[in-house]
Amino acid sequence: MKAKNAFADDFESTLTLSNGKIKDLRIKAFEEFSKVGIPTNKDEFWKYSDPSVILNLDFEFNDTGSTDEDDYDVVLVNGKIVKSVNNCKTGTIADGLLEGYLDENILGYKENPFMNLNNAFAINGCYIILEPNTENEIRILNLITNEGRQQAVYPKFAIVAGKNSNSSIFEEIRIIGKGCNFVNSVMDFIIEDGAILEHTILDDFAEDTYHIANIWVKQGKDSNFISHNFSAGKRLARRDFNVELLETGANCELNGVYLVDGDNHIDHHTTIEHKKSNCTSNEHYKGILDGNSRGIFNGRIHVHPDAQKTDAIQNNQNLLLSDNAIIHTKPELEIYADDVKCTHGATVGQLDDKAMFYLRTRGINKKDARQLLMRAYVGEIIGKINNEKIRTEMMETVLERLPKGGE
Amino acid sequence: MIKIENLHVEVDGNQILKGINLEVKAGETHAIMGPNGSGKSTLAQVIAGHEDYEVTQGKVEYLNKDLLEMDVDERACEGVFLAFQYPVELPGVNNTYFLKSALNAQRKYRGEKEIDAMEFMDLISDKIKLLNLKDSLLKRPVNEGFSGGEKKRNEIFQMAILEPKLALLDETDSGLDIDALRIVARGVNTMRKKENAIIIVTHYQRLLNYIVPDFVHVLVDGKIISSGDKNLALELEEKGYDRIIKEAKA
Repeated sequence: MKAKNAFADDFESTLTLSNGKIKDLRIKAFEEFSKVGIPTNKDEFWKYSDPSVILNLDFEFNDTGSTDEDDYDVVLVNGKIVKSVNNCKTGTIADGLLEGYLDENILGYKENPFMNLNNAFAINGCYIILEPNTENEIRILNLITNEGRQQAVYPKFAIVAGKNSNSSIFEEIRIIGKGCNFVNSVMDFIIEDGAILEHTILDDFAEDTYHIANIWVKQGKDSNFISHNFSAGKRLARRDFNVELLETGANCELNGVYLVDGDNHIDHHTTIEHKKSNCTSNEHYKGILDGNSRGIFNGRIHVHPDAQKTDAIQNNQNLLLSDNAIIHTKPELEIYADDVKCTHGATVGQLDDKAMFYLRTRGINKKDARQLLMRAYVGEIIGKINNEKIRTEMMETVLERLPKGGE
Repeated sequence: MIKIENLHVEVDGNQILKGINLEVKAGETHAIMGPNGSGKSTLAQVIAGHEDYEVTQGKVEYLNKDLLEMDVDERACEGVFLAFQYPVELPGVNNTYFLKSALNAQRKYRGEKEIDAMEFMDLISDKIKLLNLKDSLLKRPVNEGFSGGEKKRNEIFQMAILEPKLALLDETDSGLDIDALRIVARGVNTMRKKENAIIIVTHYQRLLNYIVPDFVHVLVDGKIISSGDKNLALELEEKGYDRIIKEAKA
C-alpha cells in the first residue's frame, strides 16, 4: 500500500503547480483513481498483466530531465515539453484547456484507472492542433530519462485533427539511463470529419520499466485513423487502444508488430467501438516471441445496434521461437446489429520447416534463413505504412530488432 | 563427383532406401526412373540434406568429402542443387532479393566478394530470357501465385543463376506442358558441361527426349534393379515397370 500513499503524496505535492479549473479537474481525477486504485490480476481485464506489482516499488513523480536531441518537431522529456513545432498550435494540456483548444472531457472520468491517474498528474503534457484542410508531418520524441531513481512519469498528448486535414505523426518512445520507471502514458486523438491521421509508434526495449499506455481515439464522419504500432517488451508493458467510430463512414486501421525476448512481457488490448453505420475497421497484429517472453493480444470489436453495414476484420498471428515463450490471444466480438461483416482469426506457430529447408538448399545458412523469413513476416505489416519516409525508416529500425539468436 | 555406396535410409521408422549404389562422374547426366513410392524423391532429398530422412547405413562421397557430414546449406555452397518437385512458396520474400541472398551466400562461402547490383541485374536478365519467364515474377514473392509451370521454370532459373556442380532435378517435368518442357530442357542443356553432373529423377521417358541421359537407372522398392543407357528408358516406356521388374528378378 505504500505506493498508493506515494501516489497521494506525489499528487499533494504537485497540486500547487495548478490552479483554478485545472486544479479542480485534477482533484476530481485523483478521486476517481483512488476509488479503484491499482487493479490486480483478479480483474479479468488485467488477468495476464498484473499492475499491482508496481505497489512493491517506491515510485516518485518526476518531470525533470533534458536532451539535446534535435531531429524531432516535438520533444517530451519525462512527460514535459522541451521542444515544440512552430507551424502548429501546441502547448501544455493546461494551456490547451485554458485557451479553449481542448474540451474539459479530455481530463474527464475514464473507465481505466490509469487514465484517471494520468489525468490527476496533468501538469505538463502536450496538445497539438492540426488545422482543418492542412497537411502535416510531425515527429515526436517521447523520452524517458532516469538517473537511477524509481520514478513515475506521466506523458500525455491530446491531438486534434481538424476537418479534412491529412497528417502523419511519428512517435518514438525512448527509454534511457538507469533506475526503474513507471510510465503511465495517455494519448487522446480527436479525428474530425473527413480527416486522415496516420500514427506510427516506435517503442523501445526496457528491462526495468513498467509501462501502461492508453491511446483513445474518437472519430468523426468519413474520417480515417491508421495506426502502426511497433512495440518492444518490458518488465511489464501494456498498451490499450480504444477507438470509437462515432459517425458514419469512419474507418480505422490498427496494425502492429511486437517483438519480445528474454523475460519481457507485452500486452495489447484493443477495443473498436462501431457506433454508427458504414464504418470499417481492419486490424492486423503480428508477434515474434523468443526466450521466456510472454505476449497477450486481446482484440475486442463491439458493433452497436446502429452500426449496420459494419465491415470489421481482425487478425492476430504469432511466431513462437522458443519452447518457453507464451502467447495468450483472444478475439472478442460483440455484435448487436444484424447486417454486418465481421471476421477474425488468430494463429500461433513456428517458422515454416519447408521454407527453411528450401532456403538452405540454396546456400543460405540457418541463421540467415530465419532472419529472412522473419523479415518477410514482419515486413508485411511495415509495408502498410503510407508515409514513405517513415516506412523506409521502420523497415530498417524494426527489422534490426528481430531476435538474433535461437535455434 | 558423387559416389553413393550401400545407402540405407529411413523415415519415421520406415525403410525407404535399401542399399543404393550409384556413381556419377563429372560431365555425366543420369536419369533415375521408377514407379511411385520407389524412393526416387527420397534419394534426391537425402543428397540435398533433408533432416527428416535418417541414413542408417552406407556412405556418400561428394568431391572427395563426406557429404552426409555436411549441413544443408553447406552442401548447396559446395555445389549441390535440388530443383524441387513441389517448389515452396515464400510469402513476403522478394524473388530477386532471395536470389541475390542465395548467390551471395555461396560466393561468400567460396571466399569471393558479393556481386554488385549491376552485375547481378545483367546476370538475371540473361538467364530469365533463357527460361522465358516474365520479368514481373522477379518482383513477386518467391513462387507465390506462380502457375505450376512457372514454379518449375523458376527452379531451373535459380539453377542457372547458382551454377551448381551437381544438379538434382526432382520430377521437374511433372505438370509441364510440351512447350514448357522444351524450355526447361533447353535451360538444363545449356548447363551441361564437362565439369558438372546432373541427376534427373522422373516417372516418364518424355523429358529424356529433350535431355538425353548418359545413363538410366531403374529404382524399385529402394534399390536400383537395372542400369543402362538411354535405350533403357525407351524400353521402360514400351514395356512398363512390371515387366522390367520381372525381367530383373529373373
